[in-house]
Order: sequence, then structure tokens, then C-alpha cells
Amino acid sequence: MKTKRKFWLSFMLLVIVAVIAAGCGSNSNNNGAASGGSSSASPSQTTETSSGASGKGITIAINTNIITLDPHNASDTHSISAARTMYEGLLGFDENMNLIPVLASDYKISDDGLTYTFTLRDNVKFHDGTDFNSAAVKANIDRILDEKNNLRLRKSFLKVAKVETPDDKTVVFTLSEPYNAFLNKVAMAGMISPKAIQEEGADIAKKPVGTGPFVFKDWTQGDRLVVEKNPNYWQQGLPKVASVTFRSVPENGSRIAMLKTGEADFIYPMPTEQVSQVEGDKNITIDKTESTIVRYVTLNTTKKPFDDVKVRQALNYAIDKDAYIKVVKSGLGVKLNSTMSSKTQYYSEQPGYDYDPEKAKQLLADAGYPNGFNAEIWGENDSETIKGMQFIQQQLAQIGVKLDVKSMEGGTLSDMINSAKTPEESKIQMWYVSWSPSSGDADGATRGLFSSSMFPPAGSNTAYYKNDNVDKWIEDANKATDPEKAKSIYADIQKTIWQDAPWMFMGVDQIISGSRSNLSGVKVFPDGSINVLNAEVK
Amino acid sequence: MGRYALQRLLGVIPLLFVVSVLVFLFIHLIPGDPARLIAGKDATLDEIQGIQRQLGLDQPLWRQYIDYMGNTLRGDLGNSIRSGLPVTDLLGSSIMPTVWLTLLSMAWALIIGLLIGMVSAVYHNRWPDYVGTLVSISGMSIPGFWLGLVLIQVFSVELGWVPTGGVDTWRSYIMPSLTLGAGIMSMIARYSRSSMLETMREDYVRTARAKGLREYLVVGRHALRNSLIQVVTVAGLQFGFLLGGSVMVETVFSIPGIGRLLVDSILYRDYTVIQALLLIFAAQFILINLLVDLLYGVLNPKIRYS
Repeated sequence: MKTKRKFWLSFMLLVIVAVIAAGCGSNSNNNGAASGGSSSASPSQTTETSSGASGKGITIAINTNIITLDPHNASDTHSISAARTMYEGLLGFDENMNLIPVLASDYKISDDGLTYTFTLRDNVKFHDGTDFNSAAVKANIDRILDEKNNLRLRKSFLKVAKVETPDDKTVVFTLSEPYNAFLNKVAMAGMISPKAIQEEGADIAKKPVGTGPFVFKDWTQGDRLVVEKNPNYWQQGLPKVASVTFRSVPENGSRIAMLKTGEADFIYPMPTEQVSQVEGDKNITIDKTESTIVRYVTLNTTKKPFDDVKVRQALNYAIDKDAYIKVVKSGLGVKLNSTMSSKTQYYSEQPGYDYDPEKAKQLLADAGYPNGFNAEIWGENDSETIKGMQFIQQQLAQIGVKLDVKSMEGGTLSDMINSAKTPEESKIQMWYVSWSPSSGDADGATRGLFSSSMFPPAGSNTAYYKNDNVDKWIEDANKATDPEKAKSIYADIQKTIWQDAPWMFMGVDQIISGSRSNLSGVKVFPDGSINVLNAEVK
Repeated sequence: MGRYALQRLLGVIPLLFVVSVLVFLFIHLIPGDPARLIAGKDATLDEIQGIQRQLGLDQPLWRQYIDYMGNTLRGDLGNSIRSGLPVTDLLGSSIMPTVWLTLLSMAWALIIGLLIGMVSAVYHNRWPDYVGTLVSISGMSIPGFWLGLVLIQVFSVELGWVPTGGVDTWRSYIMPSLTLGAGIMSMIARYSRSSMLETMREDYVRTARAKGLREYLVVGRHALRNSLIQVVTVAGLQFGFLLGGSVMVETVFSIPGIGRLLVDSILYRDYTVIQALLLIFAAQFILINLLVDLLYGVLNPKIRYS
């Protein structure tokens, strides 16, 4: 019996070894087919682009999927970044969100602010070989404005009354009323080849044809987008890399790992908690810039106790914002000291609301709440938002305000807010949230948040803030044709809102990206879009 | 058996119909308005209503269901609400990575799991059993998320043997299938061990030994086959779950699979994509259950179908 067992044991071991060996063998067989299977999903195998060091191409790992490549319909930052590798507008943004001429070499605005005349750049061709000219611009604006297309950009061009093309190189926009943010909106409109619009129809979202530095190669949603150098690009000497691959890598740890192995040459966002871990690594460079993303808590000014400005100011004095940046943002952010980020157009810094719990208690007592009060704070259910709400809860407890933290999934939260059709129906008290104006303009950072025409469900004024002066100034600023005048109006707006305190002003996010040290020129702009025009591998 | 299979297959149709109604209702009843979620935070009310009209979301629910069923029966799954891409495109590109991942994970989990189970049963309460138990308990209790990140750190970052993720080469599938299969391997090991122990006590095993059969024949021919029934049930269920995609493994290893597609679609209330995915999952489960039932008969001819 004993010998039998021994035999049996060695037999089993043999089987295990054989099976493992066979398993490995069949693995390679199966997987030969597996890579075939995946290549049918993504027709091009782009292994050559994965190593940046060879100077052939670069790989950028981002945290979410690219949703669409239609420049007129993209609303999320990564889709916008992706579209901008292939598309350009008449104007564009530089790394401080200032407007720069791109496909227009020059522009003039009439004194009444109603007529915008753009002179187009010569010798620009679309990727399909057709000429970029005034007719192309008109075709694009027609596409954006066509109600049937229902494009995200349409709302930005609703004030365009007509588009004229006196000659091949001149486009004249006539607006129905002055619109100060119009140039920013123009910068958002990438120009699509009219021929492609006609031939592809809705499929243009999958097969982009623009004038940009890169030409579309291949896109599998959820996996990767590959764009290749445009050999006929109008800016001499650019781009300097053969291709750019965007890969969607949702997990923070995996994105970091890709940067370490060199599978990715650039990652954004760089997970904040990992920054210190790679800061000593000489192969990796971390880049930080201030963003246009502001974080704040809206206070429902129509509900008790938030209807009293003293209470709202008290809450602002009760938060130690340095501690907030340190604890919640891992030290990577700055205090919000206005209604918008310093990177947003017409920003004006506001003084005050330094951490002062005694003053906060005094203000609460003056308002008739010497013992504080109970309230609910809402927010989304990602870990950073929850951390932020818990921090606020703990800070406000110091002045006797007891918060109930309610974190909700995004869609549910949006329903809770927008199901109230009037301020009276609103259930919201405090909402911890962030905002970023999509085209870096002051109107985008103000109107939707503080105009009384933007109460939910029409807009995002969840503070139900109503100040007649601010309402009027928002319109005035929009109509101002002189930038200096607009600037002074926006300074008034920011000052008034700051004193009225419909928000607890929390922080401005920093944009943190990680890059292989041999890569230069890839930049994340303050709006979170990635610019690859000047990418270069040393 | 052929007739039985046919009957069961015909029974799938009303079942899928019921599932489609339930799925439709559930999806439309969860809070959250897709139009608002796609339009983004700075959308105007006009814009949101425009999207609702365009997608038919302003129609009554029964109307929407009829439209949806009509299109589905014509083989048109529609376009994703969020990206506008055809649902078939999205499914097509994400289903293959998940299928490969499932097959590879199941393959190694079954082979190793059964081996461990057999060895443990044969050497009941002796050291090979303890080793087997240790392996399977660890496999079951290590969180896949953590295992995945550790594998990446060791084999990609430190050693550089395999890519951190993606689906570029067959090598990309090694770590994800290890991670995904670990728990299933352990489960199969535990089930096959206990079921094998039970069978080893059966009379026919004693008879087989008594008539002088070699031990490996007793185990391999008589005991194993009969103890497989439980294992097949467990494996079948797991197979169905895996085909639904594993969000965790697909996220850690950046695999563009079904699991991630489903979660993203749910976050944005992408009704068309969710509906298509859930219907496919239901059909998969029904078919796998049918296969499992048929396998019972193959393993134990005493089982009859009627």
C-alpha cells in the first residue's frame, strides 16, 4: 500500500507538470488567436507607438474613454483633447487660456460689437486635400447651427445672425446682439472638411477630417485612439513626433505603472497620492499647473438658515482652507479667492474669509444661531468628494454646525437637484461640487452659476442666488465690446458675489501630469485639455 | 436528449421576452436623466429637451418600449445615447477581449483547481491536502484588485516581462487571466475536493479497489467522473458571470471589455447600450445553464431528461 501511494504521488506530480506545460503551450496557441481576435477589434496593431524612446511616436494614458471625435459635439475634456489633435479652430488657446490666432491670421471686431471679420490663413488644406477657405467656415457654422444635428456647440453660436463670405479668405459673422465671450466660443469650433461632412454624415464622429497637426488613423472606444503626423501641416517643422496614441487606463495604479515601464510617455491625470512616490525618479517629470476647476459648496439662499448672509459668511470663516488643500487635495491645489480661478478670463482676486472660527461663531450668534444648526451636505460618491465633505463636516462641527453627509451617485444626485421646478420645491441645502468653464471665458464661469435665470432645472445656480445687480451686470458684461470695460464689470460681479457668499469658497484644483523625462512639449492646459502640438522626444 | 434540448431552446424565447420587459423597466425607473448627463453641466434647458426629443425620451414609456422592441426584432440595437456610435460597434469591439479573458481564466482555473481538489481528496488530511487547502483558501481570500496591482508591480514594473495591460499581444492576457482565475480555481478546488471525498466513500469505489484496480484508475475513472457533477454546476455559473465581464480586472489591466462598457453605460444612463448588454447576458446565462444540464447526462448516464 505504501509503495502504491508513493507511486500515486509521483504520478500526480507528473500530471501537474505535464498539465502546466501543456497549459502554457495551449496558452500560446489560444493567445495567438487572442491577439487575432483583438486585432479584428482594433484593425491596426500599433506596438511601434508604444515606445517613445525610439522617436517614432508617443503614448498618452488618460483616465476615461474618449467619447466622440466630433469637435462640435464633444463636451468632456478628453474628447476635446483628442479632437484638437486633428482639428483646429479659427482661434485657439495658449497654455494660459489666452486666445491665439490659428486658422484665422487676423480678426477685427466692429465698434458696436456685432460684426466679427476674420481673415483666414493661406495655404491651409484639410487632410482630404480640399482647401480650407471661407466657404468651409460657413459650412461648419451651418452644421453647428442646424437644429436637427443637436450638437453641444450650438448654444454657443445661437447669437450668430448670419455668416458672409465676401471672398475666399474673409469670413464675416454678424451677431444679433453683442457677445463678449464670442471669440472664446469661436476657439471651441474645430473646422471639419465640408467634403467629409457631406460624405460621412454622422459618421464624421468616427472618421475625423480636419486641418490639424495629426491625421486620424484608428480608434476603438474604450481602448485607444491613434493619430499620425500630418506631413502637409501648415506650420513648418511640426509636429515632431510620428504619431500619438491615447490609451484609456482608468485605474490610477496602472497608469503610474505604465509611466514607470515606459509603456506610456505621458499620463494625465497623475494620481495625487502617488506624486511623492515618483518625485525622486529621474526618468519621470511631474508637471503642475493651476486649473480653471473651482471647488465650492453652494448654500441654498432661499432656505433657512442660509437665507441670512451672516450665516453664509460664518461658514466661509469656519473653514481652514490651508488644511483643506493639505488634507483633501494632498497639498496640490490653491485656495479659491474669487468666484473663478485665476486662469479664467477677467479674474479678480478678493480679500478676506481667512480662517477665524471665533468670528464665525460671533456671526452665527448675530444671525440668531448661537448654538449652530443642523444641515445636509450633498455630493457625488467618489472618494475624494466624500473626503472633502467629511472635512467640511468636521470643520463646521467646531462652530456648532452639524452636517449630515449625503453622497450620491451622479445621475441620482442630478435628478434630486433638477426635479425641483421652483426654488420653493428645492430640497437642496449644501452641495459640494466643482465647475470649470468649458471655453475659459468669464461668462461661462458666471452666468450658469449666479444668474437668477439659471435656477435648476434651467442651470446650475443651486444656491438659488438672486442679486439684481449681478443679473444686470452679467448682461452688461456680455454686451461690452471693450475688454477693459468687461474686466471692470466682472470685477464688480466677483466682489458682490464674494460678499454675498452664496458659496463656501473652497479651492482651485491643480492639474498634475506625469511625463517621461525624454519627452517635452506635451502640456495640459488649465481647462484640462492635453496639447500635443509641440511634443518632442529627445 | 435532442428533443429535450430543442424544447429548452424554444423556452428561451418567452423567457427573453420577460427579461426584456424587466430590463427596460428597471433601467428607465432608476433616477437620472440621460439627456442631462450627456449634455453636461453647462447645458441649457433647450438643449436638454432637444436631446430628449431626439432620443424619444419625451415619449410615454410603453411607446418607447414598443419602438425599442420593434428595432431589436429587426436586428437594430440602435446607437449609444452618449457617444452616438452604433451599439453593435461597441459590443463588437468589447466582447472579444472579455471572451478571451474568460476562456483563459476558466481553462487554467479548471485544470489546476481539479488537480488540487483531487490531490487533496486522495491525500485527505495529509500534507498535500494541507498545501492544497492553503493555496485554495489564499486564492479565494486575496482581493483580485490587490493581486492585479501586485502582479503589475512585480512582473511589469520590476521585471518587465509582460505589459501592464491592454490587449496588444497574447502576453497582455497572462496577468489578467491569472487574477481573474485565482478565485475560481480555489472554488473549483474546494468543491472538487469535498465532492471527491464523498464519492471515495461510495460502494462502487470500494468495489473497484476490491477487484484490485490500480489506485489511479479508481480515482481517474470511477471517482473523478462522478464527482464532476458538482464541479460542472459551479464552473458553469462562474463561466456565465465571467462572460458578463469583470469590471475590476478590466479596469486594473485597462482591458476594453464588456464589464467596463456596462459600468460606463450605467453611469451615463446609456439606455440602449445597457439594454443590449443585459439581454445578451440573460441569453448567455440561459444557454450555459442548458449546457450544464446536458453535461449532467454525459457525466452520469443514469440522469434522464424528459
